[in-house]
Amino acid sequence: MALSRVFVANRGEIAVRVVRACRARGLESVVGVSDADRESLAAALADRAVVLGPAPARDSYLDTNLVVHAAKATGCDALHPGYGFLSESPVLARLCEREGIAFVGPRAETIERLGDKLAARAVAGEAGVAIVPGSGEIRSAAEALTFAGSAGYPVLIKASAGGGGRGMFVARAEVDIEEGFERASEEARAAFGDGALFAERFVEDARHVEVQIMGDGAGEVVHYGERDCSVQRRFQKVVEEAPAAALPPRARSSIHDAACRLARHLDYRSAGTVEFLYDVAREEAYFIEANVRIQVEHPVTEEVTGVDLIEEQLRIAQGGGLSVTQEDIALAGHAIECRINAEAPERGFAPSPGLIDAWCPPAGRGIRIDSHCRAGAFVPPFYDSMIAKLIVRAGSRTEAVERMGSALAEFRIDGIATNLAFQERLVRHPDFAANRLNTRWLEDVFMPSLVH
Amino acid sequence: MSIERKEVEALIRLFERSDWHELRLETDGLKLVLSKDADAAAAGSEAAVAAASATEDPPAPAPEAVDGLVPITAPNLGTFYRAPKPGTPPYVEVGQSVSETTEVCLIEVMKLFTPVHAGLSGRIAKACVEDGEMVEFGAPLFLVEPEARAAETA
Repeated sequence: MALSRVFVANRGEIAVRVVRACRARGLESVVGVSDADRESLAAALADRAVVLGPAPARDSYLDTNLVVHAAKATGCDALHPGYGFLSESPVLARLCEREGIAFVGPRAETIERLGDKLAARAVAGEAGVAIVPGSGEIRSAAEALTFAGSAGYPVLIKASAGGGGRGMFVARAEVDIEEGFERASEEARAAFGDGALFAERFVEDARHVEVQIMGDGAGEVVHYGERDCSVQRRFQKVVEEAPAAALPPRARSSIHDAACRLARHLDYRSAGTVEFLYDVAREEAYFIEANVRIQVEHPVTEEVTGVDLIEEQLRIAQGGGLSVTQEDIALAGHAIECRINAEAPERGFAPSPGLIDAWCPPAGRGIRIDSHCRAGAFVPPFYDSMIAKLIVRAGSRTEAVERMGSALAEFRIDGIATNLAFQERLVRHPDFAANRLNTRWLEDVFMPSLVH
Repeated sequence: MSIERKEVEALIRLFERSDWHELRLETDGLKLVLSKDADAAAAGSEAAVAAASATEDPPAPAPEAVDGLVPITAPNLGTFYRAPKPGTPPYVEVGQSVSETTEVCLIEVMKLFTPVHAGLSGRIAKACVEDGEMVEFGAPLFLVEPEARAAETA
C-alpha cells in the first residue's frame, strides 16, 4: 500500500521516535497532541501538529473517535499508536480499517485474541506454547496432592475468585498440602464468599524474559532475540536488557521457537512481544502474555540487532513486507535500558512534574537517549512520568553495566526530582553486576538495602 | 530560590489550565498573586495577574480578548458547522445577540455532532471559521462583544 502521511496517536518520547522513523521512510507525519503538549518536541518535529482536546488523556489521547477524525481530517493514510493509550485497542484498529487508514500494528482480531489473558492462554495452547502447569478446580486436599504429585513442588493453592494475595498458600512439600488446602479454602470463603480453589506450579526464582517478533501479516515471522526485564517494581519494568544473558542456550532457542509459533499461528502482522516466566530452577519457560504493540524497551533489541523496529513496522504497513529473513538477523554485544522517570524514589516514587531547568545528558560511544525532554521543557502532571530512556551498548554485559553506571552519573537533570540516583545505585549493586536477579530482587533485596 | 521569567510563565500556564481560582507565591524578592477573579486588586506591592477571562467553560487557553471581544472556543478538535443541517440557516449571524445557553454551531467528530454554547451573553461580532473546516481544541470560533460593553456602545 502506498502511504504518504502517518498520524502519530501518542505523546512523549515514542511520538518523537515515530516522527523520526516516518522521516527516515520518506513519510510525512502529523502528531495529535493534547493542550498540555502543544509545545512538545514531537509537535515541533512533526510536519504538522493538531490539538485534539484538553490535557486529560480521556478527552484527548484516549478518545478513539477524536483521534481517527483528526487523522482523516489531516489527510493521513496510516496511524501509529505507539505504546500505552490506545495502542492495544481493537476498537481503534477496527475503526482505522473501516476508514481506510492503515493501522501500524496487528489486525483488530489479533488484538482481540491476545488482549484477553484467558483467551491468550487458549491461543498459546493451540500453538503448542507451554503455560504454567495448573489444575482445574480442586475440591479436596487429596486432589491437591494428586496435582502436586504430577506438577512437582512447590505448588500454589489459590482461590479461583482470588486477588490481592488473599486465599493463597504455598505448599513446599506433601506435608503442607492438607494445611494449605484448609487455610486457602477458609480464606477464600471469608474473602470472596467462594471457597473454590485451584493449584498451579509456583515459580520461586523467576525471570521475566520476552521475545521480540515481527510478522508480515501473511505468515512470515521473524524474531529479534529476547530481552530480560526481571528488574521490576510493582510489575513495572525498571531496567531492561538484551540479550537475556542468564538463559541457557536450550531455553533461549525454545522461547524463540515458541514465540514464532504463536505469531505464525495468528498470521501476526507488525511488531509484537511474547512474554515468558522463566523458571530458573527447572530451566523451563512458560507463556505469560503477548503484547500487540511496540514496547517501551524495544531499543535494547535495536541496539544488539542493528534494526530499526519502528521503521520495520512502517515498512510492513506500506506493504513492503519484512526487510530481513531470520538468517540475516545477527546479535552482537549487550544493551541495557534504564527508564528515567520524573519521580522521587525517596518519597515513595511520588511523581514530580514541573519545569526542567537543566538537561545535561551523557554522550559518547554506545550511549543512546530516547527522550522528548530538554531544558525549559515542562513535564505535565497528567501523564506517565517517564521522561527519558537511557540506553547503552557495549561488547559484553560487564562493559555495558559499567557504561550505564557512568552514563547515569553523568546525566544531570535539574528542576524536578528524578530516579537517576536510584538507577545508578541499582546498576552498581553487586547482584546486578553479577546478574543474580529475579523478578522479586528489586523489591526484596535492592529496595531494603537502600534504607541503610 | 530565585524565580525566572520563564518559570513565572509556566506557572501562569498551569494556573490557567487548573480549576484553581487563586494562587499566591512568595519567595526572595518576589510576591506573585494569580487570580481568575478580575476584581482581584493589586494590593500594595503585589503583582496581580488576572490569568483568564470570566469564561470558565471550556477551560481553554483563551486567546487574548482583542478590543474587548471574547472568543467562543472549540471544546475539542472536530469539523465546524454553522448550521444544524446543510441548506438550513446558520445558528447565529454576525450582529445577533446571544445568551450563555445559545447554541452557536456544531462540532462533528466521526459523525457525532455536538452543539457548542455561547457561554456568555453578548453580541456576535465575528465568525472566525468557514463552514466545514477542521478546527483544533481551543480555536476561536466566534468573537463576542460581551453584554456590558454592548450596552455601553449602544
